[in-house]
Amino acid sequence: MSLPLVKYVLMAALRDRLILSLIVILLLGSSLALFLGNAAVIEKDQFTVIFAASGLRFISIFGLVLFVVFFIRRSFEGKDIEFLLSRPIGRLHIIFSYALSFSLLAIFMGLTVGLAVYAVAPHLFGAGHVLWTTSIIVESIIMVNAALFFSMYISSSATAALVTSGFYILARMMGQLLGITDSSLVDNTGIYAMALQMVSVIMPRLDLMGQSSWLIYGAEGSTIGIAYIIGQGIVFSALVLLAASLDFLRRQF
Amino acid sequence: MLLSSRDKQVQLCLAFALCFNIIFWFSGRDIQARWNNVPPAPDHKYAAAYGLGDAGFAYRLNGLMLQNLGDTGGRVTSLDDYKYNDLTKWFFLQDHLDPHSDYTPYLAAYYFGSVQTPEKFRPVLDYLQKVGEQAEGEKWRWFAQGVFLARYQLHDLDKALEMAKVLASTKYDDAPAWVRQMPAFIMTQKGEKKAAYALLLEILKTSAADLHPNEVNAMKAYICERTLSTKEAAENPLCEGTY
Repeated sequence: MSLPLVKYVLMAALRDRLILSLIVILLLGSSLALFLGNAAVIEKDQFTVIFAASGLRFISIFGLVLFVVFFIRRSFEGKDIEFLLSRPIGRLHIIFSYALSFSLLAIFMGLTVGLAVYAVAPHLFGAGHVLWTTSIIVESIIMVNAALFFSMYISSSATAALVTSGFYILARMMGQLLGITDSSLVDNTGIYAMALQMVSVIMPRLDLMGQSSWLIYGAEGSTIGIAYIIGQGIVFSALVLLAASLDFLRRQF
Repeated sequence: MLLSSRDKQVQLCLAFALCFNIIFWFSGRDIQARWNNVPPAPDHKYAAAYGLGDAGFAYRLNGLMLQNLGDTGGRVTSLDDYKYNDLTKWFFLQDHLDPHSDYTPYLAAYYFGSVQTPEKFRPVLDYLQKVGEQAEGEKWRWFAQGVFLARYQLHDLDKALEMAKVLASTKYDDAPAWVRQMPAFIMTQKGEKKAAYALLLEILKTSAADLHPNEVNAMKAYICERTLSTKEAAENPLCEGTY
């Protein structure tokens, strides 16, 4: 791990006004959630919290993904990577330093989102809120590492951003898709069902994370706990980071 | 500054493009999005897809959609014009997504319950019964509202009595005594005064010790003034003294 490189990436995030832009968007998103929540005839606070939580979650994730993808591709195109490789720093150090930097950004954004959701309805705060925020932090870490992986493999920034977005949507929908294959409506030994089962093995179950119902009813009785959330974060991040490392180690410059 | 012939050509093309835009605008200006009544509800298994796998978010999105259904884009729809069979499917779907919230039962009972032709509301009664059968919180209120609507809006005493019997037999954590007395009220209305009397007497025998004295007096008053005739009341020891 190279601490100067970590600092360099964090400085780049500040220089790109990523943090400032995301915080401004979070404020606007919270305001919109307040507006939409107040349109409900009853349970206005519950509506506000859920709209804020779900909206800010998307905004934060996509902001981080875009930053990671464009930062990595810019590093390749601006020869920053080649410069780094000419220094006494190993390839694995570069990958893991990037991963640490992006994960620190993810933790910061997850905490900011948690704070914004708390701010729109502080009286609903409880253990479920802590679990939800932790879950969003882990989800953000998973997504920045996935974005790092895709941007290392795919040479076009736009394509890498779209693929990462598609990956996120697929990971969020995986529970629904597996539900379809498990139902009696389709043949669960058919080729498409089998293909989906295989894909699901290497996909994180993001639909199980950040469930907005935790913010209202608490996490008691939930089948998902902190151990599953952190476990999924570690297992999936290890997978994509090692895959990205493998590609980077073999690449010729 | 003199314009070159190419500039003039571009300006001419721009003017034509603007004219075409204006013509196109006229052709589409009065076309409005049509509302094809209540959309079909998705299956329970896939309902969370509306919130990208988050059932809570899907519930709230659907909730606002149901609240504003037919009343968007400058359009106002009469409650009479909704397809209540389709609406009921959405209500059941909402119950699947979030069985704890009172938002959808509230919409169903108090908003859509005001429909001008009460008979159209009949399918929703099953939903109110389903929600009201949950013991948690004050879900019995939705069931009681369903009984009220069946009794006073639909004027269907048989349906009201059928629902009231289920309501009275459901074990709630915290429901007032009148919830258990509801079948008796409807029996009285149906003319089944003996049955109403027997039911209320049974409640008094088994639960009087747990009831507030005012509640006991109110039950006695109901028995003596509504279920019994004047002659029967005069001969009944329950009706002696003040209540």
